[in-house]
Amino acid sequence: MGIVPVRCFTCGSVIGDKWEEFKRRVKAGEDPEKVLDDLGVKRYCCRSMLISHVEVIDDILEYFVVKGRVKRE
Amino acid sequence: MKIEILEKEGEDKLSFVVRGISPQFANSIRRAMIAEVPVMAIDDVYIIENTSVMYDEVLAHRLGLIPLKTDLDSYVLPEECECKSETGCSRCSAILVLDVEGTGEGVTTVYSGDLKPHESNPDVKPVSDKIPIVKLAPGQRIRLEAYARLGTGKKHAKWSPVTRCVYKYYPVVEVDESRCDGCGICVDVCHRDVFEVRDGKAYVKNQLRCDLCGECVSRCPHDALKAEWEKNSLIFFVETTGALPAWRVVVEAFRVLAKKCEIFLSQLGELGVV
Ligand SMILES: [Zn+2]
Ligand SMILES: [Zn+2]
Repeated sequence: MGIVPVRCFTCGSVIGDKWEEFKRRVKAGEDPEKVLDDLGVKRYCCRSMLISHVEVIDDILEYFVVKGRVKRE
Repeated sequence: MKIEILEKEGEDKLSFVVRGISPQFANSIRRAMIAEVPVMAIDDVYIIENTSVMYDEVLAHRLGLIPLKTDLDSYVLPEECECKSETGCSRCSAILVLDVEGTGEGVTTVYSGDLKPHESNPDVKPVSDKIPIVKLAPGQRIRLEAYARLGTGKKHAKWSPVTRCVYKYYPVVEVDESRCDGCGICVDVCHRDVFEVRDGKAYVKNQLRCDLCGECVSRCPHDALKAEWEKNSLIFFVETTGALPAWRVVVEAFRVLAKKCEIFLSQLGELGVV
C-alpha cells in the first residue's frame, strides 16, 4: 500500500522506525548519507530501503481527507 | 575451542573470534541462530474492524514483522505446550490489542507503540514504539486482537532472531618489508581500508577488516603482500532484531544443537548401537 516497509527486504533489520526522522531531516536540507550514518543504518541493503522509498499512502489518504472536508461543508 | 569477544555494540550486536572450529561446525551454529532459535512474533490476527485503506492481510503481515521482546524462560513453543489448544494458553501465546481511530482533520499515523500488550502479558511488546503500521484518515478505524507465539525462522523469517548473522575466515595480512617500496597501490585497491603507507612502507592497520579478496596481492608490483587465513579460526558477526540479546541467540543456538545431538544419541541407544 506504499507505506514504509517494517524491515529491510534483504537482511530483515527494522528500518520502519527510522523513516520519519530520515524524511524530516533530508527535507530540511541535510545530506542523506550523513542522516543514514547518524541513524545507524550501516548496510547498503537497509540504506537503499530508506533512500528509494516513496510514501504513496499519503497521496491515497489525501483523497479521504478531502472527501471528509467536503462532506462537513 | 577458544572464544574471544571482538566487539559488543549495545545488546543487539556482537562479534567474536572462535579458534579451533571447523567451518562445518560454524555453519551449523550459524544456521541454528537463523532458523532454530525461537522468538515471539504475531501469528494470528483477529480483525474486528478495519476501515483503513490497507487490506486486512497486509495489515496482519506488517504486524507479524514487528519484532517483539521475547522472554524465552516464560514461554514455550505452541507445539511443545501441554495445552494443545488452537488459540493457546498463557504459557504459549500472548495477546496484543490495537484500537485506533483517525482523529482531527489530517492523517493519523498508527505506530507499533499503539499495539498494547494484554494485562496478562505486559512484557510482550514491540522492540520499537516508532514503527509505522498504517495511516488513517479522519474517521477510519482499526480494531484487532493479535496473538503472538514463539516460532522459528525455519517456518517464517519473522521468527528469526537475527538480521546479519555471518562468519568469515580470520584474515592474516602481511607485508614483506624487504620488497615493499611504499608505492601505495595496495591502499588504493583495497576496498576494506586495510593498509596505510607510513615512511615509505605499507603497513597493515585494519587486519580484521580484510575479506581476503586478494586484489592487493595480485596488484602489488613488488610481490610484497600476503593475504591468507588462519586455519580453523573464524570471526562471527551476529546482529539481532532486538527480540533477544545477541549473546542469548548464540547460547540458544548451542542449546539447540546440543539437544539435537542428544536426540540422535538416544535414538542410537534405542537401536542398540550405543
Ligand atoms: Zn538491510
Ligand atoms: Zn499452551
